[in-house]
Amino acid sequence: MSLTLKNISFKAGDINILNDVSLSVKKGEIVSLVGPNGAGKSTLLNILTGDINPDSGGVFYENYNLNELTILDRSFYRSVMSQSQQIVFDFSVKEIIEMGWLDKGNAQFSEHFDQAVLDVSSVCQLDNLLERKFNKLSGGEQRRVHFARTLLQLWRPSDSMDPAYMLLDEPTANLDLYFEIKLMEIIKKKAVDNVGVFLILHDLNLAAKFSDKIALINKGKIVRYGTPREVLKPNILEEIYNLKMNVDGNLKVSYF
Amino acid sequence: MINSSFLKFVTSTQINLLIVFVLLLFLSFLLASSTGSYSINLIEYFSGNSSELQNKVFEQIRSPRVLLAGLVGASLGISGASLQGLFRNPLADPGLIGVSAGAALGASIIIVLGSSIIPDYIFGPLILPLAAVTGAASVIYLLYLFTKGFGYQGVTYMLLVGIAVNALASVGIGILTFISSDSELRGLTFWTMGSFGAANWTLVFPALLIILVTIFFLIPFSRQLDLLQLGEPEAYRLGVDVKKLKFRVIISSAIVVGVSVSLSGMIGFVGLVVPHLMRLIGGVNHNYLLPASAFFGASIMITADLLARILISPAELPVGLLTSAIGAPFFLWLIFRIRKT
Repeated sequence: MSLTLKNISFKAGDINILNDVSLSVKKGEIVSLVGPNGAGKSTLLNILTGDINPDSGGVFYENYNLNELTILDRSFYRSVMSQSQQIVFDFSVKEIIEMGWLDKGNAQFSEHFDQAVLDVSSVCQLDNLLERKFNKLSGGEQRRVHFARTLLQLWRPSDSMDPAYMLLDEPTANLDLYFEIKLMEIIKKKAVDNVGVFLILHDLNLAAKFSDKIALINKGKIVRYGTPREVLKPNILEEIYNLKMNVDGNLKVSYF
Repeated sequence: MINSSFLKFVTSTQINLLIVFVLLLFLSFLLASSTGSYSINLIEYFSGNSSELQNKVFEQIRSPRVLLAGLVGASLGISGASLQGLFRNPLADPGLIGVSAGAALGASIIIVLGSSIIPDYIFGPLILPLAAVTGAASVIYLLYLFTKGFGYQGVTYMLLVGIAVNALASVGIGILTFISSDSELRGLTFWTMGSFGAANWTLVFPALLIILVTIFFLIPFSRQLDLLQLGEPEAYRLGVDVKKLKFRVIISSAIVVGVSVSLSGMIGFVGLVVPHLMRLIGGVNHNYLLPASAFFGASIMITADLLARILISPAELPVGLLTSAIGAPFFLWLIFRIRKT
């Protein structure tokens, strides 16, 4: 069971953004996508979410072609967090988190609403901010609120076998060091609960520590794909990032 | 299902507020239908002790007028609230996307050229509303064409198209004003200032039906409007068919505004100010905001019409003049307040 990209190509005008890319994220697995600016990372994520259609190739959510799923069905499979837009009206933090709740019209499901909201808020340490206005929060705090919202979207009863995937575009941007690690630990826990996670990261050390698989992308092509130990080789990284790289035995990457 | 999810996303304070707004609406209806240059005792009316003249004034003149005022207020309030939500812009208003201007142009054509192109006996008193709705519908069609089914390049583009359409309609109205005779000019001027004076059951009944159906068509989409505040891609990822939502909100707003403008002329600031006031009082989520704006818009319009009738009685003020006179300073205060925070 997985989310899969098969032979995806995508052009913007005459420029090749993605060239014959195949990739998959299995249940319970953390896959990080790393690579320099302009390599095609966000485009790849947007194709996986269904925001944009590829020029050729297919996107599959488990057994279904993405095109066969309604917009509502897609939202049950995966939650997405990306660089967010400004919110104009003065919603409270609690209201923003609650926007992640997908009402499935199932009373048994609905019963858990209040508890689920409290759970994700406390996991993200937002309990004290719930009644505050979202627009008055700092950038990092707003980020955590959006993360809590994506967690709520994937909320399932504990005995549920329903598929759940998280697609995250630089989830740690703007977070302080404590919450950077905290957020990665929450993601790790979700993976243990059988959620498949696909995330774009810039910090190679975070990717090395928390990922099951790393995909290294450059100029629209997946250059390397495998475990952190297989991918994080100094000679490959040096060529792609154009920097002197050093990787030690614990997979600590240093570049200055 | 709608009920359970409605309760989930509305606080108990908001439900109490909604109840207060309904009571307010009821009160303003009773007050406005009994007060005027000819006053009617409602207790006598309902106990059957009123004179025939009183009955006639109440049934044929006062009731349709107050009802129409309420409907127009509700239409402007709810379409203002939902368009502000859709455009994620607190300044959006039915006037902004050009729909009111289209309706105005349609009506102006009939006022100035009317009897010379279409003989009176074909549509009778329905000719003016029909022309206004046609005008509003043409604007929506133009918007639809230019934005490739409301989907193209997001809502900013649509606002820009709206501004252009507004300008074009003003040119049309300008030309009509220029070529109109003195009496036509007077009709035109009064119409652009808005009035409920022409209300009668022949006009009010179809409007009642259209407006109520459209409002009930809009309200179930409150939650999707909330999700849209996160941005169009985020709303899509949460399961919202954004294109369908846009289509629904724009068509509904255009219908209610077209019908309203056609029956009462141009009434400014209600669609802009009422949703702001409702947000200030009770919160920004659309499950509360849409019904609140409809109820409060209706009560405020009924009250404004009452004032228009009695302030310089037995003469009458144009109600649009009154709403703008109250709405514009209030709006300035709002802007000032936003700047300070």
